[in-house]
Amino acid sequence: MTISVAQSVINYILSTSFLVKGTTIIYDFIGGEPLLKINLISEIMDYAVNEMKKSNLGLKFKIRITTNGILYNNSKVQSFIQKYHDHLIISISIDGTKKKNDLNRVFKNGKGSYDSIISNVYLWHSQFPFIGTRMTISHDDIPFVYESVKHLISLGIKKIDVNPVLENVWQEGDEVIYEEQLMNIADYIIDNDLYFDKELDLTCFDEYIGKPLGKKDMINPCGSMFLSVDSLGRFYTCMRFAKYSLRSKKPRIIGDIHNGIDKNKLRPLYALDLQSLYTSECFFCEVATGCKWCPAENYDSSSTGTIYERSVATCNMHKARVRAKNYYWNKIYQKNKWIE
Amino acid sequence: MVQYLVILLDDTSVSYCHCNNPYKEHRLISLDDLRNGILYAMKENLMIQFVYPDYDLPEEYKEKIESIDHHNIVSSLYFDKLMFEESDVVVFQDWSSVSNYDFEPGKAYVIKTTKTDLFDRYCSLKEILGKVDRLNVVITDVEKFTDGDFESYKKVLSELSAEIEKLYVAGKSPQLNLLTDRMMLSEMNNCGAGETNITLAPNGKFYVCPAFYYENEADSVGDLDKGLDIKNKQLYRLDHAPICRHCDAWQCKRCIWLNRKTTLEVNTPSHEQCVIAHLERNASRELLNSIRKHGTFLPEQDEIEKIDYLDPFDKRADWQ
Repeated sequence: MTISVAQSVINYILSTSFLVKGTTIIYDFIGGEPLLKINLISEIMDYAVNEMKKSNLGLKFKIRITTNGILYNNSKVQSFIQKYHDHLIISISIDGTKKKNDLNRVFKNGKGSYDSIISNVYLWHSQFPFIGTRMTISHDDIPFVYESVKHLISLGIKKIDVNPVLENVWQEGDEVIYEEQLMNIADYIIDNDLYFDKELDLTCFDEYIGKPLGKKDMINPCGSMFLSVDSLGRFYTCMRFAKYSLRSKKPRIIGDIHNGIDKNKLRPLYALDLQSLYTSECFFCEVATGCKWCPAENYDSSSTGTIYERSVATCNMHKARVRAKNYYWNKIYQKNKWIE
Repeated sequence: MVQYLVILLDDTSVSYCHCNNPYKEHRLISLDDLRNGILYAMKENLMIQFVYPDYDLPEEYKEKIESIDHHNIVSSLYFDKLMFEESDVVVFQDWSSVSNYDFEPGKAYVIKTTKTDLFDRYCSLKEILGKVDRLNVVITDVEKFTDGDFESYKKVLSELSAEIEKLYVAGKSPQLNLLTDRMMLSEMNNCGAGETNITLAPNGKFYVCPAFYYENEADSVGDLDKGLDIKNKQLYRLDHAPICRHCDAWQCKRCIWLNRKTTLEVNTPSHEQCVIAHLERNASRELLNSIRKHGTFLPEQDEIEKIDYLDPFDKRADWQ
């Protein structure tokens, strides 16, 4: 992206009332690897801050960056962090143990990235102690989930989102291994009394998951608040609708910096509710809450190019998570019932 | 549940809806496909609507068509007088031949128009309404409506409404889709493409509606050999339409093709389609109230409620 495109984007956002109706704008930089372009990010944010002040809209802002962590200790990156620390939400993607991390996160020469980022993880954690990490898992990663979560906890990371990919990569039996891995995590946390630590937040054991749908679950949890823009200034509701993210479908562009947003193309995302999206099997599923889905993955996997065909590739993985979560809470209850 | 089969007899068959037919070259459906299409309709209990080209069909086609109960949709330019008398729906592609046309009761007429032409020429509809039983006005550039156009459309509906009121008071009861449909309905009554009706094209394949064929021949939903195969068919139903199922503009075409064209989803209408439908709904409300001032009228119908919005999408927070 050029600075000129970025400036046009900011000008468009600040002059478009329905986009800035809230009081906080979150500038989310995703790559590739965003820290490769720290000078550009810095220039964009300096411009954005200046324009927000000039606009007199009373806007606050946050800057969100998800990085692989390799350049985290770079002096320019650190200068940027110093300048915008109070506005920054930086996450380093680390997938757990060296073995697990190096399965997916490798340099061009095939060498894993773990050894290059581990010291940066400590630096990051000292600068942003309350920010967690997302652990994305695919078929090959499942046997390492327990060891990886344990490792992340040992690094001091307290908020961990174990997240099976939504794509249809799963094989028969994966859910059995996944369930075992999550139960091992449950045992580790409970046997070591880590669950008393209020800051420890493992989303895989959210109490909310695994219940029938209620009224509050009916709305689309995604896609209604984001404006994504690619390097050429084309708008999407999420970068997962951009060409490079999609496997087989055409990019779903909702406008560009020259013509603005076509609001008609936002309507399906804003109106999307579960009654319209779900088949009866999903709608009446007894463990439906917390079962993740994504409009863009729906679109990419659909038979007719619609966001309204619910992808169910993670159904068995979700059910495994629900069983492990039930085990977790029952085990805590059994352990503490004498206290009550 | 599918109830109607629309059979396009030729690539140049008249377009009777929001889309325009881009085909200029004749391609008559094969006699085999026609025969099999009729057979399919018989086996699936479907009522057939034949859509004609301008030219005279071969005798063997006419014979085959007459072998089954059906409706005929023809162009106002169709020249076969005998067949023309048999027609149920006559379609005007534009206003060029409307003024000199000899309208008669017993048929339904469709006038396709751009918004600009409608705003310029709607006064001529007043005279036609005195002659016909039913008139459908179909706007072909719905997606181009601006806020100014909505105001103009409101004025057009108001004037036509006054004319219809006069005719009803005088004992006539012409139907104009834009104004009288809503006051006679008690539930959604939309186009039904992909749900209650499907289209058989001259290539022997099924389509959700003629517009899907005109736009992309590869967009078929089955054929006569393998049968109908509509993927995500639930999305054509009202219960899977997140905006429409909260709406009471029951006369709205809810055009699936326009939906996909403007919002990329068959189950989601554009702002323009919603506002147009609500201007019609509100004008119908006024018309119903006005006619009722003259005496009992449609006593079985409830009043149409007064509402404070033109696009139900704007009220989505109330749905939760």
